[in-house]
Amino acid sequence: MAYKLEVDGMTEITRQLEAIADRAEAIASKALYDGAGLMAEEINKGAGQIKTAPFKYAGSGQTRLPSPEEKEIVEKAAAGIAKFDKEGGSVDTSVGFRNAGYADLNGKTVPIPKIVNAINSGTSFMNKQPFVRKAAKAATPKVLAAMQERIDAEIDAIGKEVK
Amino acid sequence: MPSEYAALVAALKLLTIPFAEYGWKSRPEGAYGVVQLDFEAGSLDGDGAKHDRAWEGSVDVFYPKLTDRDDIIDAVEETLATVLGNSWSLNSTQYESGTGLFHVEWVFQCMDTPEEPEPTPEGGGTDGVQTGS
Repeated sequence: MAYKLEVDGMTEITRQLEAIADRAEAIASKALYDGAGLMAEEINKGAGQIKTAPFKYAGSGQTRLPSPEEKEIVEKAAAGIAKFDKEGGSVDTSVGFRNAGYADLNGKTVPIPKIVNAINSGTSFMNKQPFVRKAAKAATPKVLAAMQERIDAEIDAIGKEVK
Repeated sequence: MPSEYAALVAALKLLTIPFAEYGWKSRPEGAYGVVQLDFEAGSLDGDGAKHDRAWEGSVDVFYPKLTDRDDIIDAVEETLATVLGNSWSLNSTQYESGTGLFHVEWVFQCMDTPEEPEPTPEGGGTDGVQTGS
């Protein structure tokens, strides 16, 4: 007795897979945008927890805490997302204060990345409060989950759209 | 305090430059270092409780003369490698124009592993194990 085996829908699956391959970069960019936004949000929340004390000059050999004005500058500047780099089949970006610009502090114009670095990494006159590293570490699982969710949603949408 | 961190602090304090935990209130002359735990970086959970806890921390070294560089950096990195194996990396090198100090920062992760209780010889240590046939 002979059996005939038939598979339906192979052409649909092929078409859907092709559509996913064509739109891979766009899907990755959307997911990365979600993830980077979430990461920036978490870092800004971390900036809210910087410990401060009213400004006074650190005497020779002394240390001081960041002043409330410095904290306010960092909070206002907010971590930003760099331009997406789409080369070699991957999409990359970075989140941080690199292009945050300048701010007025005690009558001087100071680069904001320098203030952030002094707080985050510490200097000889200020003990470190590594809020960026801490926020990034805590947010990583959340960011990865959000990106995965976005990729799944986009692929589901292609499955419904391409028949 | 994680046991590995305690070992690291003890080892760093044996170096030629002075080390303080969590920053100096008034810093010493010349080269000096800071070591601290920054935050909890993760844990392995079991039986409804945290079991192996991992912490992230950092070592900072400030030195005034570039000629001191190699000795100090080698000494700190050797200490990190001896105590923590591979779980550390160089995070940044900076220069403070105001004070003329060079600043090197390492980030490390260390474990807090509770000591396993000694297995008791009496009390049926061979439960569920069949020997022979």
